[in-house]
Amino acid sequence: MNIQFKKGVLELCTLALLAKKNRYGYELVNEISKNISISEGTIYPLLRRLKNDGYVTTYLEESNEGAPRKYYQLTEAGKKMGKELKEEWLTFVKKVNGLLKGGVKDE
Amino acid sequence: MNKKDFMGRLSSHLGGISWKDREDVISDFEEHFKEGLAEGRTEEDIADSLGDPKALARQLRASILVSEAERTTSAANITRAVFATLGLGFLNLVFILGPFIAIVAVLISLFAAAISVTASGITVFLASIIGPFFPQYYAVLINPAAAIFSSIGLTCFGILFFIGDIYLAKLLYRLFVRYIKFNLRIIKGKE
Repeated sequence: MNIQFKKGVLELCTLALLAKKNRYGYELVNEISKNISISEGTIYPLLRRLKNDGYVTTYLEESNEGAPRKYYQLTEAGKKMGKELKEEWLTFVKKVNGLLKGGVKDE
Repeated sequence: MNKKDFMGRLSSHLGGISWKDREDVISDFEEHFKEGLAEGRTEEDIADSLGDPKALARQLRASILVSEAERTTSAANITRAVFATLGLGFLNLVFILGPFIAIVAVLISLFAAAISVTASGITVFLASIIGPFFPQYYAVLINPAAAIFSSIGLTCFGILFFIGDIYLAKLLYRLFVRYIKFNLRIIKGKE
């Protein structure tokens, strides 16, 4: 798949995954790369940016394996942003699909 | 590439960020390796799927320095942030360095103008006080009192002009940081 497509949706996917529950970095990478093949490291700069901009906060929690994990949690701003991006995405996909199917209607 | 190589390359490209941020970045990847190894993956496999450590370090460094510039307004911080983004792609020379130089040039000329106006006000003021004692050098074209009052006006205008420049510089700074952040979201570094 085109690399620009993937980069664009990475933020959306991350926010969507965090909207369901708080997750740690490796888990997020796993969930995303299961579906989209990305270079997995790119999620860390993204997470840092989301944190700097106040969309997520982090906290440490002990894991069963002993080493603490850094969990990411959406803030209110993050939840709002996730919803908006999702809406935009769904509308966009619907329109593109309409175009691809050939049934172009001017609105 | 094993874990040690990956971490070495990552941290060698994290120059210029605080020790705390650096530790934070390192620990994120330490954790990533630990989780991967616990799943039974090899270090090489994990490092390969993470991608190029140099590219990652550059992206991380850029977003850390930009948010530092956002938190603390200073000429040094914004300059560091601008140069950190340049490593992310050739286009940033055009889209970030170009506007940055233009803004800096405009601000420098505005400050220079404010300083010149203030200095000329002070000069006229001093000249109109001292001048009458040296009639051989001082040609009175206008009433000395008028010269004094107009020079005070000129000086005040220069100072206000200077204060206005400071506000403008702060405003441009905030806007420019926002602009860089917008660019980071769009560009996100080269693959």
